Amino acid sequence: MEQIEIEATKYTPKIFLNPDGIISIEGKSYPENSFEFYQPIVEWIDNFLNKSSRDSLSVNMKIIYFNSSSSKVFFDIFDMFEESRDRCKTTIHWIFDTDNENVAEAGEDLKEDFPTLDIRLSAI
Amino acid sequence: MKSYENKLISQIEHLKDEFDSTTTKLIKELKRQDKIMARSDKRQQLEYDELIKLKTELEETQKEIVWIVGTIGEYRNKEMGNHVKRVASYSYCLAKHYGLSNRECELIKYASPMHDIGKVAIPDSILNKAGSFTQDERDIMERHSQIGYDLLKNSDRELIKIASIIAYEHHEKYNGKGYPRGISGEDIHIYGRIVALADVFDALGSNRIYKKAWSDDKIFTLLKEERGEHFDPKLIDIFFENLDEILAIRDSMEDIV
Repeated sequence: MEQIEIEATKYTPKIFLNPDGIISIEGKSYPENSFEFYQPIVEWIDNFLNKSSRDSLSVNMKIIYFNSSSSKVFFDIFDMFEESRDRCKTTIHWIFDTDNENVAEAGEDLKEDFPTLDIRLSAI
Repeated sequence: MKSYENKLISQIEHLKDEFDSTTTKLIKELKRQDKIMARSDKRQQLEYDELIKLKTELEETQKEIVWIVGTIGEYRNKEMGNHVKRVASYSYCLAKHYGLSNRECELIKYASPMHDIGKVAIPDSILNKAGSFTQDERDIMERHSQIGYDLLKNSDRELIKIASIIAYEHHEKYNGKGYPRGISGEDIHIYGRIVALADVFDALGSNRIYKKAWSDDKIFTLLKEERGEHFDPKLIDIFFENLDEILAIRDSMEDIV
């Protein structure tokens, strides 16, 4: 598997996908077409979870702003983590600014929807 | 026969299971969509509220700053009193009856206080001179239009842009005999023509260090004489058609003697 690094743009976050089992998504996410933007990322994660031999994955998400279709993509990605939880133990760090209520709330929603996943919220 | 039956049942049972798991998935998905939408609606509401708040804040800040800067001149030139405020209100009134949009009327009102801002660069000895000006002094005094324009012209802000036009053109005359450029008629921006009339009307009716306030009769005679000369004839007509409103503004903002 290859490493993927995508620089941040005005509308999209900085993304780092490391085959050693580290994923990092940082910044704003409100592209016009979130599904198209995240397509290669979703594919990479699918490959990692189903084709690599790694049994652990660390995910760092530090989102500042996101639109609703990005939110949908995040849920879909978390679905994938959940489905493969027996093969690969995923730890998600959901990091947000103390005064960013929206992102804090989104983190709570994810925790609530995925009780089997190890989701750690941290306000900074 | 029995085994055939059993097979069919098991197939249907399998289908039932598949159907159950699919519908469960769909329900979960729909619930999630609803949740995302609800969250998104809530965020949009907050964002729009915030946007409006910021926009208002920005506009109010601009207006206040312009107003404050506009009154700096009044402080240096103590006899000016409420001149700037009255000019703003006369300008608004004239703009409204001229048929400009509400927004433009507001902008003129809030930009007009800066019309004499160039006077910050005029020495006190000239600005507050009791007698009449020498030609040199007059030349220096008249520079305030150009200076005001130069101070404001580089802004991209709508309000400041309009203020720069007003500062530049409020001493132009309809017949082309004004300053600084000597432009005439509708070459003078409507904002300049409006504030020119508002400014002169107010100045004539006020006590100045170099003159006593004129009587209304004398003022009205002059304005009529200057219809199409100093002033836009259409604005003079509007002025007299709405004289009651103009005089009510004057009464509400009288200088305290």
